[in-house]
Amino acid sequence: MYLIGEFHEKAAAAAAIRSLRASGIAPADLDVFSEEPVEFPRGVLDRPSHLSLVSVAGAIVSGTLATAFIWWTQHDYKLVTGGMPIFSFWATGVITFEMTMLGAIVANFGWFLWESGLVRRRDRSAPIPAPTPRPVAGGDPGSLCLRVRCRGNEAAQAIDAMRSAGAIDVQRRGEA
Amino acid sequence: MAATPDLLPYHRIREDLFRPLSRVSRPYMLATLIAFIVGAAGLVAWSFQLRRGMGVTGLQRPAFWGVYIVDFVFWIGISHAGTLISAILRLTDAAWRKPVTRAAEAITVFALMIGGMFPIIHLGRAWLFYWLLPYPNSRLIWPNFRSPLLWDLTAIATYVTGSVIYLYLPLIPDMAQLAQHNTPWRRRLYRALSLGWTGSDREWHALERAMKLMACIILAVAVSVHTVVAWDFAMSVAPMWHSTIFGPYFVTGAIFSGIAALLLAMSIIRKVLHLEAYFTKHTFNRLAKLLLLMCLLWFYFTLAENLTVWYGNEPKEMAVFGARTRGHYAPYFWTMMFLNFVVPFVLLGVRRLRTIANATIASVSVLIGMWLERFVIVVPTLTNPRLPSASSFYAPTWIEVAITAATFAAMAMLYMIFAKLFPIIAVWEFKPHPQEDD
Repeated sequence: MYLIGEFHEKAAAAAAIRSLRASGIAPADLDVFSEEPVEFPRGVLDRPSHLSLVSVAGAIVSGTLATAFIWWTQHDYKLVTGGMPIFSFWATGVITFEMTMLGAIVANFGWFLWESGLVRRRDRSAPIPAPTPRPVAGGDPGSLCLRVRCRGNEAAQAIDAMRSAGAIDVQRRGEA
Repeated sequence: MAATPDLLPYHRIREDLFRPLSRVSRPYMLATLIAFIVGAAGLVAWSFQLRRGMGVTGLQRPAFWGVYIVDFVFWIGISHAGTLISAILRLTDAAWRKPVTRAAEAITVFALMIGGMFPIIHLGRAWLFYWLLPYPNSRLIWPNFRSPLLWDLTAIATYVTGSVIYLYLPLIPDMAQLAQHNTPWRRRLYRALSLGWTGSDREWHALERAMKLMACIILAVAVSVHTVVAWDFAMSVAPMWHSTIFGPYFVTGAIFSGIAALLLAMSIIRKVLHLEAYFTKHTFNRLAKLLLLMCLLWFYFTLAENLTVWYGNEPKEMAVFGARTRGHYAPYFWTMMFLNFVVPFVLLGVRRLRTIANATIASVSVLIGMWLERFVIVVPTLTNPRLPSASSFYAPTWIEVAITAATFAAMAMLYMIFAKLFPIIAVWEFKPHPQEDD
């Protein structure tokens, strides 16, 4: 089942997440919904990312393939121009660089789609709360919704944790 | 005591920024129609050139590069608006960039699309453009990857891909919001493009990380693209082209003209879409200072480039230098100096004169001046080659003028259509803020 807690303050949502995690709910079962990015202190709800690593890998693969392709094409039909070498890293360096960057761009975009979950199969039964925007200032993101996936016997404790942390509303969704 | 400025509430921000998407005013229709007519005239001119051949242009031996290459370099330069403003300011977390970034990123994509057309137009037999693609011809010879023209192809292809993704990524959350409102066809469009965005922390984290990485990558690509464009010239041993500073000189000029294009676009959007509360005098003031900085940097490079040639007094170089400063092309050169240095220096250097109207005038001046700069770089060198008997004069024909005008119209039209389909300011990035006294 799912619980949806609504918060008006980021600190309250962070306190609720800490409390829920202490009660045994895994970070994978917690989702925060907001109309703008919300940054919690380190250790509250960290989402490890491999985006940089994948982008670098994409860059290396693409750059290497491009250079190998140029080397092969230039040797496939050897054409001497002005006594220059058939293949030269200096003369093909620009293409190697651009293809390296293209690899990084494509890998970055592809991994973003994967890591954000936008192109992965989703649990269609999971409710998607709609945070209500408020006219606030000072870096407050407005309303935040915390979605908790839990078993029926954990629900009461989770509701208490969210209420005591400062949730203005907590709703049950889905079957127990 | 000064009164505390009111906050712009979130619902008003959404209303202000989403409103232009649903209303089509009469002036907007008229402007689109004019842009369409000018664009169509350019298409007619191009079809005439395709039927009759390149003889209808002013290109003739030895000047085989003319206005089309000038336009190509100019538009690729304009495309630097998005990358500089958006990527650098995003990486440095400058808060004032928020109303500016999307307008800049859109300029990049459209300017690249238009700039990328020119090598194809310049080919003459445009239907053979695919010869540039890396595949072997009927004699199994592959393209020459050592040629700077192939460097251009890969650089621009990478830049277009990166710029489109860089524009698209921060649009996703806004499109998810728009998918809840609007007419059925728009709802379908936004729903499809927002890929089912829900606003969860996983999505936000991934988006922010991806944007930061993209900002780093796109900066490197942008600098490389205009350096490669400069190397198209510098790699040949032609007088006043074979220069070691051509790469940074072109990048500086590109950023200079890019900022000018952004200022002009912002000025028009501000008036037409009534976004005075978002594009404030402070935003203009900061961009105007950046434009002034680039103006000084451009002047420094221009001085360094010309002074070394003049001091060296090498006959072939001096022939080009003379054509630029005293000969056929002197009016272009001195107009360029006036428009690129004197006008922005006076209007933006004096604090009291640095108003929105003057910043707009300075940016129009810089745009014209930078087009002339490209012309002054490309043409005099070709018309004064190393073989003195081959010297000639180049002037564009009405075909080239019509096609050039059409690209400006196409830019305006694409931008107007974009502003009607997507919010020109990233709504999710734009927090409620105090209204500034304008």
